[in-house]
Parts: sequence; C-alpha cells; structure tokens
Amino acid sequence: MNAPASIIVSLDGQAHAVPAGCSLAALVASLQHQPAAVTTAVNGGFVPRDQRERCVLNEGDAVLLFQPIVGG
Amino acid sequence: MTQASSDTWQVGDVVLSSRFLLGTAGYPSPQVLGDAIVASGTQVVTVGLKRTLAAAGDNGHVAMIRRCMQQQGARLLPNTAGCRTAREAVQLAQMARELYDTPWIKLEVVGDEHTLQPDPFELLQAATQLVREGFTVFPYCTDDLVSCRRLLDAGCPLLMPWGAPIGSGQGLLNPFALRTLRERLPDTVLIVDAGIGAPSHAALALEMGYDAVLLNSAVAQARNPVAMAQAFRLAIEAGRGAWRAGVMAKQDFAVASTPVGGDPFLLGPAA
Repeated sequence: MNAPASIIVSLDGQAHAVPAGCSLAALVASLQHQPAAVTTAVNGGFVPRDQRERCVLNEGDAVLLFQPIVGG
Repeated sequence: MTQASSDTWQVGDVVLSSRFLLGTAGYPSPQVLGDAIVASGTQVVTVGLKRTLAAAGDNGHVAMIRRCMQQQGARLLPNTAGCRTAREAVQLAQMARELYDTPWIKLEVVGDEHTLQPDPFELLQAATQLVREGFTVFPYCTDDLVSCRRLLDAGCPLLMPWGAPIGSGQGLLNPFALRTLRERLPDTVLIVDAGIGAPSHAALALEMGYDAVLLNSAVAQARNPVAMAQAFRLAIEAGRGAWRAGVMAKQDFAVASTPVGGDPFLLGPAA
C-alpha cells in the first residue's frame, strides 16, 4: 500500500493539508513566514527554530504558530 | 544632573532610569502608540504572543513598537498572558525568548477568570523552572508576603504585585499589604503591576517606596493617550522624588505650622 501523498494537520486549530513527510520548517515556509518571524509548537511542545527542519509532521499533529503582538 | 539620570534602578546588569513600564495593547493607532511611548519616556515596554491566525489584524503596531524601542534604546518585556498553568507559561516563555530574543519574561499565570488573579502555586512552579533555564523572570503576583518570598527564593530578581485587578483602574486596593511588602523586603525591586487607573495611583506607589509601576489601560484608554502618558511620567517622577525626599509622618492631631510667639493679635482678647 502506497503512503498517502498528503496528510492533514491541525494548524492553529484548523485542518490543513501538507505533503507527507513535510517538515515544520517547510510548513512555515509554505505559509510565507520568514523563519524568525514566528515561533512554533507541535502538540503543545515548543519546537525551537533550529529544530524545525528535523521535525517531521505526522497526521493529526497540532501545530501552533505564534507571532509578536501588542500586550500589557 | 536631573533626577531621572542620577536616580537609577537595576534588573540584573541592566541599569534603568525611567520607572515607568508601559503596556502596548489597546491603542487607537500605531502612531498614537508610538507617540505615547515617546511621551512616557519608558525604557521597558510589554508585548505579547498570539497565534498567527488570530493576530492577522496587528496593523503595524508591533513594527511601531520596534521602531520606538530602537530610537529610545529601550527593551521589550514579553508576557505570558492567557496562561493558566505552569506548563503553558513555560512553553510560551520559551517561544517568547526565541521570538523577541530576550531572556526577560513577564510571567503571568492566572488562577481566576473573574479577577484574573495570579495563581501563586502555578506561578512559583513556572518561575522556578524558568529561572533554571536562564530567564530573567518578572512575576506578576499578588501582594501576599509569603508567596512573594518564595518567588525570590526561586530566583526572581524582582516582584510585580498587583495594585488591583488587571484593567480595573481601581488603584492600590490594599495599601497595607503593599506597604508591608516594601517594609519586609527593603532590598527587593518592587513594581506595582496592574490596576492603576490614574497618575495619582502611580504617584502613591512611588511615594510608598515602590521602584516602578507597570500599566497599560490607563494610558491606552485615555481620551488622549499621549497626554496621559506624559501625565503619568510626571506623576511617577513626583512620587519618586517624594519618596527620596521623605514624606512626613502622619499625625492624629493638628500641629500648627506657623510659629506664633505670644498673642498674634495686637489688640488682644475682647474685654
């Protein structure tokens, strides 16, 4: 049985299709974000910028991207 | 030399002269925010993190903050707003450090939805771990002396007790507890965070010996935020000046201020 061409991950709570074997770094790039413009977490755990390339996404992974915002 | 340049305080090795830490949320426009930052004279502004999808409407506020920070040589203090557990707060702090490239973190772990009161237990747990990881933790805490001591024991270099619930503008609701903290922790940097609504509240905090205040809504929600930032700046400087000068002790009875020798009336009492 062939591996699926794409998988579904949860991106900021919304279903999002990515190629099977897609890394977190590739997902960030596909969303047009500069690597340093966002910070990332997968399944509730922080994934540092230098580990995104090695972080291969799996079906159903919950990916969160954070960016700077005003705050008190 | 002015008071502002000669009277400094420190967070670790960082020397600061402004005692006004300013929040950046809720301003009507990036330009007003930028002008308020300049008018405040602040050297520390707070920022946050938000999911990218939810943050789509930033409209240039963060870019304005960064521009002002560069111009004023000031620092960013990211927060962990919205966290309810130590685990959440630690994760968010790690992300904030990467995103803003600073070890400074305003640690917020809320334990009650109605008052947004800090959870002292989760806060201590998160602070302990973050200090171990090299963070400089600014804990948003209650005014409870014992839990404050625990935070210092954990390695927090300062404390940020609340004056009143976040955004309430009620001022210093428990002056006794705040005075007690000041008296019992005389060498600790203390910053009143949250609840300040008027410049007089900020002045009172400084008159009590607090080292600084952190506020947001009182400026952002003013009819004229830039003018209000300036008003707070002056009040904070006045309050600090009063603390250094020594506020007189209260008396239970009137004490005549005019030195009168003998009978002040030339004609004396009526016959």
